[in-house]
Amino acid sequence: MDTGFSHLDDESLIQQIQQGSHEAFAAMVNRHSNRFYRIAYRLVFNKGDAEDMVQEAFLRLWARPQLWNPGKQAKFTTWFYKVVINLCFDLNKKRKPADLPGDLELADRRPGQDALLGIHQEQALVDGFIKELPERQQLALNLCFYEGLSNKEAAEILGVKVKALQSLIMRAKTTLKEKVKGHLGGGSI
Amino acid sequence: MTITLKQFKENLLVYGANVREWPEDIRQAGLKALEISSELRALLAEEERFERVLTTRWYEEPSRDLAERIVSVSLSKKKRVRRGLGGFFSELVWEFSLPKPALTAVSVLLILVLILGFAIGFSNPIGSVPTEGTQTDLQGFLYYEGEVL
Repeated sequence: MDTGFSHLDDESLIQQIQQGSHEAFAAMVNRHSNRFYRIAYRLVFNKGDAEDMVQEAFLRLWARPQLWNPGKQAKFTTWFYKVVINLCFDLNKKRKPADLPGDLELADRRPGQDALLGIHQEQALVDGFIKELPERQQLALNLCFYEGLSNKEAAEILGVKVKALQSLIMRAKTTLKEKVKGHLGGGSI
Repeated sequence: MTITLKQFKENLLVYGANVREWPEDIRQAGLKALEISSELRALLAEEERFERVLTTRWYEEPSRDLAERIVSVSLSKKKRVRRGLGGFFSELVWEFSLPKPALTAVSVLLILVLILGFAIGFSNPIGSVPTEGTQTDLQGFLYYEGEVL
């Protein structure tokens, strides 16, 4: 859907949104909804909830676009990552531990399902190990490894120095590596 | 610039197994070290296997109409901007970008001021005001016979 705003950069788009342009808002949503869905999904582990979080974040932007202040925030996406991440963490806090989408169903023992089961088991294990990491380590890993953000941008989102972010990534990966080795065997990694 | 085993391990964790994508200032040193050390090559292979496991993580694509849905919901949202007390405070927090500890401190301070106000109010009840003087002043006011300016 080309609304004529697609050539504008994020900062110009948000200025249009601040002046009440719904077309500019639609262009922003079209450009970024999938990107922010990805990080939301990595944090809430559920498609429906991740979509709700992204929707909520964009609706807040539409209702109060002046919350983004070009003087305070360097980049729109950096700021908006924080908005989405905070919504996801708030949701996770509200959930009881039992509400967190847990491991995948591993009880399917029909013939021919073994290979699929192995893959699903591995996926569920990795997800489980990541869920067990402290919140900030999870976030550092998601932003840098899964989203491919630079250390500088991820550090800005987390509100820490680059060195601190790197330390979070190292601790997250070291822990994960040990757990993966322990559960899937040394041959897997 | 040379790179130690410890530095190489750390860089692998921080920047990943694709050495060609490491930051420019350490990339060449990393590649050179890899050429001469079989130990580093083994470490790299291990990191590559680990990253493959990490990428097997479960992921569901978003609904195809996610963006469309958000845009259409936003059309109906803008018109009814009603704020409750909770909404007002939450927007206040957003506006000033107050971190949670600061917000807690402000809330505690406000409560303390409220308590202090009540304490002062109760320590000086109406009964303690000398009524005699008040009556005299009132009489003086009502029955003032002097020159009125």
